[in-house]
Amino acid sequence: MKFKTKVKKPEEQITPKKYTGGTLATQIVMTVLAILFLLPIFMVFNYSFKTKKELYLTSALTLPSSLQFENYKKAFVKLDLSTTFTNTFVYTALSVLILAFLCGMTAWAIARCKGKFFKFSYIYFLVGILIPYQALFLPIYIIGYRLHLTNTRYGIIFMYVATGISFGVFLMTSFMSTVPTELEEAARIDGCSVFKTYFRVVLPLLKPAMATLIIMQSFQIWNDYLLASLYVSKKNLKTLTVVIQSLFSSQTSDYTTAMAAIVISVLPIAVLFLSLQKYFIKGMTVGAVKG
Amino acid sequence: MNRKRKSGMERKMERQYFLIVLPGFVIFTIGLIIPTILAFRYSLTSWDGLSAEKPFVGFQNYVNLLHDSNFLQAWGFTILFTIGNTVIQNVCALLFAVALDSGIRLQKVYRTIFFIPCLISSVIVGFIWLKMYSNVLPEFNEIFGTNINFLLFGSSSTVLPGLLIANNWQWIGYWMLIYLAGLQSIPAELYEAAKVDGAGAFSRFKNITLPMLAPSITICVVGITTGSLKVYDLLVSSTGGGPGRASTSVILHTYNTAISGRQYGYGSAMSVSLVIVLLLVALIQVKSLRSREVQQ
Repeated sequence: MKFKTKVKKPEEQITPKKYTGGTLATQIVMTVLAILFLLPIFMVFNYSFKTKKELYLTSALTLPSSLQFENYKKAFVKLDLSTTFTNTFVYTALSVLILAFLCGMTAWAIARCKGKFFKFSYIYFLVGILIPYQALFLPIYIIGYRLHLTNTRYGIIFMYVATGISFGVFLMTSFMSTVPTELEEAARIDGCSVFKTYFRVVLPLLKPAMATLIIMQSFQIWNDYLLASLYVSKKNLKTLTVVIQSLFSSQTSDYTTAMAAIVISVLPIAVLFLSLQKYFIKGMTVGAVKG
Repeated sequence: MNRKRKSGMERKMERQYFLIVLPGFVIFTIGLIIPTILAFRYSLTSWDGLSAEKPFVGFQNYVNLLHDSNFLQAWGFTILFTIGNTVIQNVCALLFAVALDSGIRLQKVYRTIFFIPCLISSVIVGFIWLKMYSNVLPEFNEIFGTNINFLLFGSSSTVLPGLLIANNWQWIGYWMLIYLAGLQSIPAELYEAAKVDGAGAFSRFKNITLPMLAPSITICVVGITTGSLKVYDLLVSSTGGGPGRASTSVILHTYNTAISGRQYGYGSAMSVSLVIVLLLVALIQVKSLRSREVQQ
């Protein structure tokens, strides 16, 4: 049941392909497509700098006359950004840290123990990948309500952890085969308990896999709408996506503020991706290249 | 180590390993497995979500679902949306990946551009395309003097293509990246050997690229299908399920029935139907695609 991850050849090793007429044609087509893909993003930025007057009087394609940050200021107030941004950040950060902590431990124990319970656990967690929590929002809401998890910070974090755990365990278990067991055995002979062995010896070796897991999950949790809208209705606990969605429905005619809000909410995750692309791609392809 | 005889030491270790697995096990059970069981239990009742008693009605909810035209319409939309996405996204993602892998310059720049949309929350993507269709794209009619109707969310016959464009814009780059990683792991010698044997570009694609990409294809097909069946966020801020009911997905319809309509029992039956379909589709796809991987 374990998956080997193939070592990918670095791009430099592949012999460079010849640049022919066909390649040039491809380059032109891809450039056109890239421009089309960028059009909506251009639109968001463009609107976010326009004044209300410019919105109504000028074409959607003309640039704003000056770079003014009035919309960003308005978005800051309307979104109650200091609260919602902090909420989203705290939920995301704590959820992914707990996930990394739990999934690392769980996957390690599952990989090292041959007992029936551990074999069953692995299958049990894997089933979770196939069960879509989006389809189960109703009982998820009911159980949260019964256990007094709704409208609390720990409640929503609990749900993010519960819905992310199966992917995390899968990812971590597939990584475990690359962790050598010799060090663990040495630690055990030295009299370390299982817990100590994990924290002293195994955990440091899991860093790359944990980075991958953390990035993959941050991006999902940061963008989540369904769980946040179900679990949190108190104003001071709301997340960015939920507040932005209500801004969308209240500001249908003057949407320059909404566009500024979009930029603010996407920026952190875009920066995270651009700086840590390597880990992200690894996490995405862990299933794709399993042998 | 002696495996046959379980010493006290080993038993102690096993207990510690067990304690390590336990927290995750419990959280997962409460957060996902119990809700699954609850959904099935509620689906056998006519519970309204408020009253203490949950009248047992057996499989009546499921029988009613089969005659509920709104529910069937929601499935109709969801299935069309899923088929459209699976075909378009797979083909485009693969073509984009092949194009980027063909030796063009600035590969990384293109890769980033195509990937960025998937970092945006679907709620926001829905709103962006709402404004694209209503305010931005019509401007091109004035520039080029054309008369194309860009208000795709405005009529029930064009709302599906409109949503497909938005969804594909968001996700093509994501799947492209998986195909790209797959392509880059194919050994170049294979292509060179084929070239020596006189195989043309199309034949090389069909006989080397596609079979070698089989694991990536499995991941992408299953991922896109199951993702599309769960569509909800995208609709909330773009069409809201309209015009009329033309773009109401199964989850959106369940939400309206259960939360707004206070029919928890009936809504749960809808949830269960979706869970079952998703499990079946994923299992069938994995099985048939995996068998293809083995054959080749």
